[in-house]
Amino acid sequence: MTPAFRILLILAAVLSFMFMISNIRRSRLRISDSIFWFLFAALLILLAVFPQIAYFFGGLLGIISTVNLVFLVIIALLLFRVFTLTLRVSELDGKIEELAQTIALKNMKDNEKE
Amino acid sequence: MKVLIIIPAFNEEANIVRVTDHLISDYPQFDYVIVNDGSSDHTAEICREHGYRMIDHPVNLGLAGAVRTGMKYALENGYDAAIQFDGDGQHRPEYIGAMAEKIAEGYDVVIGSRFVTEKKDGSLRMVGSRMIESFIRLTTGKKINDPTSGMRMYSRRIIKMLAADASLTPEPDTVAYLIRCGAKICEVQVHMDERIAGESYLNLRRAVQYMATVCISILLGGWFRDIKSLGEEAQ
Repeated sequence: MTPAFRILLILAAVLSFMFMISNIRRSRLRISDSIFWFLFAALLILLAVFPQIAYFFGGLLGIISTVNLVFLVIIALLLFRVFTLTLRVSELDGKIEELAQTIALKNMKDNEKE
Repeated sequence: MKVLIIIPAFNEEANIVRVTDHLISDYPQFDYVIVNDGSSDHTAEICREHGYRMIDHPVNLGLAGAVRTGMKYALENGYDAAIQFDGDGQHRPEYIGAMAEKIAEGYDVVIGSRFVTEKKDGSLRMVGSRMIESFIRLTTGKKINDPTSGMRMYSRRIIKMLAADASLTPEPDTVAYLIRCGAKICEVQVHMDERIAGESYLNLRRAVQYMATVCISILLGGWFRDIKSLGEEAQ
């Protein structure tokens, strides 16, 4: 990994830290929802500061260019995140439908009473 | 002083009658409301049959959502204090009076604490409790002996805040945040019972996840969250 690439990783991590914190400050983001991103940014910094970690696991997997391992890790984590978000969205869809129907049925009952 | 007992209930058919009947017969001076959080068992039907005062969520919102519903009810109906009271019978109502007195004295958050005069044992659960305690002390300078106690009573101005802000969950990090906002907090020694029926929510994986979330939330909230004004102090 070139020094420029390592600096880029750190920069990306710092920017995402700042973005998260500014949203937490204004109570726009629940802290429990931000934890993944803090850990993610921390991992980027870890890989940038100690590239030996990436070299070690890259060697283990037979990856010649270490940056590819970094990309692989990032892609894997993002895929995991997308998957958990998909789960949450479909759960939310179900709940919204349930809520809308409950309210609609209740409104009908109320209107008929009048 | 009007005190509301908020009983969040998720699949508590085994406990809800015992807990609620005890409140109704022995503590009629307090009002109660059950928040049925989309239970998949017969909690809602049982409450209706017995004529309990119940708010029925059509979907499951989780404990935080259920407690917030109770807070909104307390706010709308002009209560001076609201206490979160477990539907599984762990909390004993005999301490509510003493806690309400503290609210009347001007405290904002009163924790029903297991460890004011009694000592913690060395179990894993208590290691977690100590850890949260030290994180709260680190960010607020205050010592909370029992931060994970779910038995907490709030004053009217805190009820207003909890009802409005969905990021304030009924967890230790909210207690820490409220202290930073200037809430006056105290603990009242209570005894808690073991669950009599039903399953406890906590297993090891959940416990680790809970610890991580709470500790990180206390730190991040302590360092970064803007302080909110609590509003007028009640007279």
